[in-house]
Amino acid sequence: MKESPQDKKLDEILRSSRLVAGGFMGCDTRSVSEIVDADEVKLSKLGFTRKQVAERMRQITNIAKAGLGTWVRIDESLEAKIDEARGLLVCPWPHPGTFLKRITSIRQTETGASIQWSDLNIHLIGEHGFFEGRGSNFRIEPAELVAIIG
Amino acid sequence: MLAAVLIAVVVVSSIGAGLAALLVVAEHFFANYGPCSITINDERRLTVNGGGKLLSVLTAEKIFIPSACGGRGTCGLCKLKVLEGAGPLLPTEEPYLDKDQRESNVRLGCQVKVRNDLKIEIPQELLAVREYICKCAEIIDLTHDMKQFRLELVEPQTIDYVPGQYIQLLTPVYEKSSEEVYRAYSISSDPADKSAIELIIRLVPGGICTTYCFEYLKVGDQVKMNGPYGEFRLSETDAPAVFIAGGSGMAPIKCMLHHMKNTGNKRKATYYFGANKVKELCLGELMRQFESELADFRFIPVIAAPEQDQNWDGEKGPVTEAVQRTLDNAGQCEAYLCGSPGMIDASLDVLKKLGVGEDKIFYDKFE
Repeated sequence: MKESPQDKKLDEILRSSRLVAGGFMGCDTRSVSEIVDADEVKLSKLGFTRKQVAERMRQITNIAKAGLGTWVRIDESLEAKIDEARGLLVCPWPHPGTFLKRITSIRQTETGASIQWSDLNIHLIGEHGFFEGRGSNFRIEPAELVAIIG
Repeated sequence: MLAAVLIAVVVVSSIGAGLAALLVVAEHFFANYGPCSITINDERRLTVNGGGKLLSVLTAEKIFIPSACGGRGTCGLCKLKVLEGAGPLLPTEEPYLDKDQRESNVRLGCQVKVRNDLKIEIPQELLAVREYICKCAEIIDLTHDMKQFRLELVEPQTIDYVPGQYIQLLTPVYEKSSEEVYRAYSISSDPADKSAIELIIRLVPGGICTTYCFEYLKVGDQVKMNGPYGEFRLSETDAPAVFIAGGSGMAPIKCMLHHMKNTGNKRKATYYFGANKVKELCLGELMRQFESELADFRFIPVIAAPEQDQNWDGEKGPVTEAVQRTLDNAGQCEAYLCGSPGMIDASLDVLKKLGVGEDKIFYDKFE
């Protein structure tokens, strides 16, 4: 599929390190739309939509906020904690959107399996279906995410 | 029929895209706006070459307006008043400006193009901002994820700032970042020492600047910063001060305590410092020193979940609960908070419940 000038610009921003260290694409050579489409298929096979997953992530983050940086019990098998840093993360898509640098870490108490996401990840998944490129610092594998929070 | 429609759509789209590209190229190479003047606060007049974005033109003139997105028009932070010459508000600016801001000619510096003479207003404190070249003179490990950096000033050789203010540190291009970026850090040093500043930085996983500082910056390296910025500062009253901080929120409070000591400030002060684990505490010795040197100062470290082998016998639980348990005469106090938005919000709730007036609570949220 031919890329529009807007797609090219977005791709350039996502691959640059201007907004986050190492960019959003990591070492992934696929285009943004290819990454989004592939992850959507994976999610769909797991029986979820991106909106559902993002909503669950947001719900967990909201519960974990109360811990002020300590581990908080989410349900019988999950606990989560929040780390916050100074500054804002900016959505790379061309629309207004800034997010606190808030990282939610979540782990399964029995298996020890863990995953982490930023508030920006929740937005990118929910609004743009973007789980980031392979090799980026905050790439989330849909299957791993669903296995822990699904 | 369908093929003909598709071909027509493709042709029309291509012509449109081509014309747009041509306009951009033409503007880049041929548009000559000539010299333009920028009058700042009716006091200072710059003559610049037209054509650039106001934010970058001002930066080139060493006038620094804070921005988090590098001028892409997505963070909405580089607001300033453009009283004349900016032209109509752009669709890219509208989402960031409320009604009052639009009516008072507030614009985004990164979106306004300098095409003709401009008249602008910038807060006085931003005009005091300077760029500094520094040498990293010392790096101290404070905890497993916090370090203290001492930056000696090379050019200019001294800095004046108000305790509580912050600087923006430039991260150069390095292995994990292909572009220069600025990040904000509170000054933690003794303000009596004007030849250097100290910063307390906590590692942010994947953070551009903190990764650079922790893994690449070495003693002896040259770094650039600009500042000072911010309105977080101690009032000049005698009201008892309550400091609440966590993590690298220690920085501005430490700076304020140095200042209180330097100026012989006798006001009562209590400092609640929240950490998750005992191993996350830092600068305890310095705090004990402040307890002995300041007229009426108490440092209360609060550990949310102490390690069992540490035999912690101090305050336990969330820092806000310790404040609720132990703070006396809250109604008389002024509160100074620095830390994560979550901690600040929780502290605001507790302080208000305890009777601290909203106008007596000052904070530096990590935003």
